[in-house]
Amino acid sequence: MASIGQIVEQTTGGEVLSRARARAALVPDCMVEARRIANTVIAGWHGRRKRGIGENFWQFRPYAEGESLAAIDWRRSARDDHTYVRDREWEAAHTVWLWADLSPSMMYKSTFGAVSKESRALVLMLALAEILARSGERIGCPGIMEPVSARNAAERLATAIMHAPQTAGLPETGMIRGHSDIVLIGDFLDDADRIMERITPLARRGLRGHVVEIADPAEETFPYSGRTEFTDPETGEKLVSGRAETVREDYRRAYLSRRETLGESLRRLGWSFAFHRTDHLASEALVTVHGYLSGLPAGGINGGTRT
Amino acid sequence: MSAFAFANPAILIGLLALPVIWWLLRLTPPRPKSEVFPPLRILASVLKREETPANSPWWLTLLRMALAAAIILAIANPVINPRANSLNGSGPLVLLVDNSWATAPDWDRRVQTAEALIADAEDAGVPVSVTFTADATHDAVPGSAAAAREKLAAAAPKPLVPDRERAAAAVTEAINGTRPGTVVVLSDGVANASDETALDALASLSPAELRVIEGDGARTMALTEATNNADAMSVTATRLATGMPQSMAVNALDPQGRALASGTLDFAASAATATAEISAPFELRNDFARLAVADLATAGSVRLLDDGFRRRRVALISGDSGSDFQPLLQPLYYISRALQPYADLIEPTTADLSVSIPQILEGNPSAIVMADVGRLPADVYEPLQQWISRGGTLIRFAGPRLAAAPADDPLVPVILRQGERALGGAMSWSEPQAMADFPATGPFAGLPRADDITVNRQVLAEPTPDLADRTWASLADGTPLVTTREQEAGRIVLFHTSAEATWSNMPLSGTFVEMLRRLVQMARAGGAASATADTAAALPPFRLLNADGTLTTETGIARPITIAAGATPVASFDHPPGLYGTEDGFSAVNLLAPGTELQPFNASLDGVNVVREGLIGGEAQSLRPLLFALAFLFIVLDSLVVLFMNGAFSRLPRLSRSAAAGLAVLAGLLLVAHPGEGLAQDAQPGDDVIMEHLDTTHLAYVVTGEAEVDQLSEQGLQGLTQFLTYRTTLEPGAPVGVDIATDELAFYPIIYWPISANAPMPSQAAISRIDAYMRNGGTVLFDTQDQYSGLHSSGMTTPNGERLQAILGNIDIPPLEPTPEDHVLARSFYLLNDFPGRYAGSPLWVEARQEAAQTGSELSSSGDGVTPLLITANDLAGAWAVDAQGTPVLPTVPSDAMQREFAYRAGVNIMMYMLTGNYKADQVHVPALLERLGQ
Repeated sequence: MASIGQIVEQTTGGEVLSRARARAALVPDCMVEARRIANTVIAGWHGRRKRGIGENFWQFRPYAEGESLAAIDWRRSARDDHTYVRDREWEAAHTVWLWADLSPSMMYKSTFGAVSKESRALVLMLALAEILARSGERIGCPGIMEPVSARNAAERLATAIMHAPQTAGLPETGMIRGHSDIVLIGDFLDDADRIMERITPLARRGLRGHVVEIADPAEETFPYSGRTEFTDPETGEKLVSGRAETVREDYRRAYLSRRETLGESLRRLGWSFAFHRTDHLASEALVTVHGYLSGLPAGGINGGTRT
Repeated sequence: MSAFAFANPAILIGLLALPVIWWLLRLTPPRPKSEVFPPLRILASVLKREETPANSPWWLTLLRMALAAAIILAIANPVINPRANSLNGSGPLVLLVDNSWATAPDWDRRVQTAEALIADAEDAGVPVSVTFTADATHDAVPGSAAAAREKLAAAAPKPLVPDRERAAAAVTEAINGTRPGTVVVLSDGVANASDETALDALASLSPAELRVIEGDGARTMALTEATNNADAMSVTATRLATGMPQSMAVNALDPQGRALASGTLDFAASAATATAEISAPFELRNDFARLAVADLATAGSVRLLDDGFRRRRVALISGDSGSDFQPLLQPLYYISRALQPYADLIEPTTADLSVSIPQILEGNPSAIVMADVGRLPADVYEPLQQWISRGGTLIRFAGPRLAAAPADDPLVPVILRQGERALGGAMSWSEPQAMADFPATGPFAGLPRADDITVNRQVLAEPTPDLADRTWASLADGTPLVTTREQEAGRIVLFHTSAEATWSNMPLSGTFVEMLRRLVQMARAGGAASATADTAAALPPFRLLNADGTLTTETGIARPITIAAGATPVASFDHPPGLYGTEDGFSAVNLLAPGTELQPFNASLDGVNVVREGLIGGEAQSLRPLLFALAFLFIVLDSLVVLFMNGAFSRLPRLSRSAAAGLAVLAGLLLVAHPGEGLAQDAQPGDDVIMEHLDTTHLAYVVTGEAEVDQLSEQGLQGLTQFLTYRTTLEPGAPVGVDIATDELAFYPIIYWPISANAPMPSQAAISRIDAYMRNGGTVLFDTQDQYSGLHSSGMTTPNGERLQAILGNIDIPPLEPTPEDHVLARSFYLLNDFPGRYAGSPLWVEARQEAAQTGSELSSSGDGVTPLLITANDLAGAWAVDAQGTPVLPTVPSDAMQREFAYRAGVNIMMYMLTGNYKADQVHVPALLERLGQ
């Protein structure tokens, strides 16, 4: 029987260049795919639901002493004895940090999934970048690209990813300042505690986070049986199970409880958590994440988890 | 003797490889499937609890080790009870091999044993002398081993008893003083009369060793006797091994080898003989050709039956030619009824006894029954006497003629007094006599006394000193009722009363049947022995038994056998067991004489050390097949374990469920696809037409081939059909034109046949079909349509009349008459006096009524009193004919509306008569019935 899972475009440890080249070859396809699914999400300039610098009318308010006279809306003020100031809705550009885990474990693709986890993660990230760039947001990628506000931010992100060195684990987040959003896309197969250790400081600094877990169906359903040797693609560790079907239930329980724990911890931080399987459509995850970004309460859609 | 040895001990070195195999097996566990799995840490946390063996489990290794060991041991070929014979002395090896009937089942083992001995002799370099005891000639001169093997290969078991004495003598002569090394008697285990002499002769050669090898004899069994008793055939068998109780089936086979009946031989423990009863009806027992022990194939286990067990041929002769009117007064009536089930009866072709008796004697019957024959023609006495002398049985019954015959009749067993004795009656004091008990010696011994028989009249025997000995049955007052006399090989039996019920009621009783049956059974089956009276001829071999107990046509060197009367033939080399004679009549020669008992061969001899041992074929058992089977079993087990460990069966339940569901769906689909296939296809093309004709009565007319006539016929029948529908409950279907040459006629109660001289004459076959139709109850209405029927009116014959005569000339028609006034035809619906059509005046001819004539014509009887044919010249169809509008087509002559109405009424009456038959005849008797009821 052919093995269920495989490492897509597997590269060994030192061959960073070829690995990068492979990823670079992958990115344009992901870009096209990202464009396609980004079009399915209707988005636009979104207001901040409060007054500020912007173009759209927000409210009339009474004139206060000390304000610039130029601020008075004379047309409105002429209608009664008060003077009014026209407030505009605040439409400040927001910084959204996007990050996708591109470690070797993401290269995994089983016969049940449509694409590898990495491919799906890239597609999601670039699609988000495309949508957010259209909305005028500043797009950044920790460790790879400084935040830029440009209509071609997605292309620039893609270019940056192509040239980026291989990273592992969660990114260095020292450069992230202020209240910005961060979207983390990965498989998050480490212990929930370890992940939270990294994330909690970010939340403390006031970052709003959105975590998308990409999973392969084989990882979730564990369709293995018989005597099977399992290999960790990152560490190369091997594990032999005499009769794999016997541990299926236990494994699934452990796998799902890990996800539950992670999701629960994130929600406690006020972060949103969504997970996505590679045999589902990428646009599903995109809509979910975009919903979170657009200000829906965390855990708003389907309680924050999609099945 | 070592009980266990290896044929190839060198292979056992292979066992040294077992540790290596063990090491290899431990080293290489089954290779797992390799899977990349990113969430390995999660899996690891789960898998910690499970033991993950790096090696195969110890029991699997053990299984594989056992597998390897089994294969190595199997190649080494261990043998239990290996043969360890060795020859003694330097003299030649003398083999005395029994090839008798009892060796047939294990002949191959015997040959193996002999070959092993010959091989030993070859190794030792001594010559070999092989002698077969059941052969006719012995060549015991010691020769080379190869020659001995050739002789062994050519030998085969013979269906004979061994003659060891002669064989031993031949050995003694051939050895010619040389001191033999080992003398081996390969015995069949059955004792023989001359065994001691034979062993003495062998011992006198002073061999280095005298060895007796014999089989276990468990299957040595022989049928020694078969007797046909009254209600069953009793078979006696004897066996050699008397230790255990044993039960064997005996089958009775017919000449084609089919089993007809079977019985069971139950040997008690330590009993050498047993008897089985094969119960079968007498007729079935007549067909028994041989008896065979089931599952045994030796000449001894088969008992051939010959004509002695067959149905007898019995000729019946009566003095009274008799009349057929009173069969119950015929003397032969009761005899033939009694003997019919048990014997083939021959009746004389003529009443002239001087012709019929020589004819009967040519047929060579077993017995001749003469009922009340007083005096025979003078020239038949001589051949009849000869026939009796050769073994015929003459059974005579008394009667008025015999009582009146002169006393010097040579064909009566006793001297008879003139006249008969009447018991009871108006002028007699004596009472009719009952029968006494049957004497214990005669053929009637064992019959219960017949209390229901009384004898009114008998012929009396003159008392003679030996009268009592020759009396087989007597009356209560001691007068003989059945007497007998042997005449050379034959016998004359006389019943002193008559064969019909006038002199006694004996012929009416069951005892009569049983007495006759026993007498006939006693008669010699083949009739008189042969035509040449003085010496019994030599019978050529017809079918011979081979050693396997099957009959063959190869008669080979068998010589004709001469069987003296009453003697049981003995099988010998010249006369092997089988059937001798011709297909018409044969005698069976069986291997063993009745009463033979098989005794174990007694090989102990004073002063000589005799070594006894068994055959080698069975005892030396190779364990190789067993070990290979074991190894194969291990391989299967191992494969299953490996498959199980790799999870091949984890999906099995689901698979089997889906397979079962698939099968169910498939079966359902098949059922749906072929809903009617389960029923037999017995529908024939044309059934719908037949059913249509059967559902509705149709009027039918014969298509003459002349268009005008046919059209008129159809229109006429259409008109009648309409009239019938209006006036009666009969609603016929549309008229049908039939082609009498081809169409099925049986559907129509009546067929209207307009005779036209211009139409083509129907073929002979068509006319015979019409004849058959009339015989089967149909009716044909012939209509010459010319006003003047040609019947009985010579001089006025019309062309149509001539044609009718031509047609009827080929048909077996009954006498005809014009319809009488009180005929059913005139009463069946309307009351009619005549039957006009378009013309009036011609009578309607019907079959003449037969009540007075008493001559039982076939035609009238089958038709339930309905006349098979009607003949008229009135052109009925012309009067009935209507066109599509319902108006008449032709005018009546003279033109009279009432005549047409009467024509219709005549048609209705004819149809009613056809359909109801003589039921309506009761109407004729209504006055008489009313008169009777009035009383």
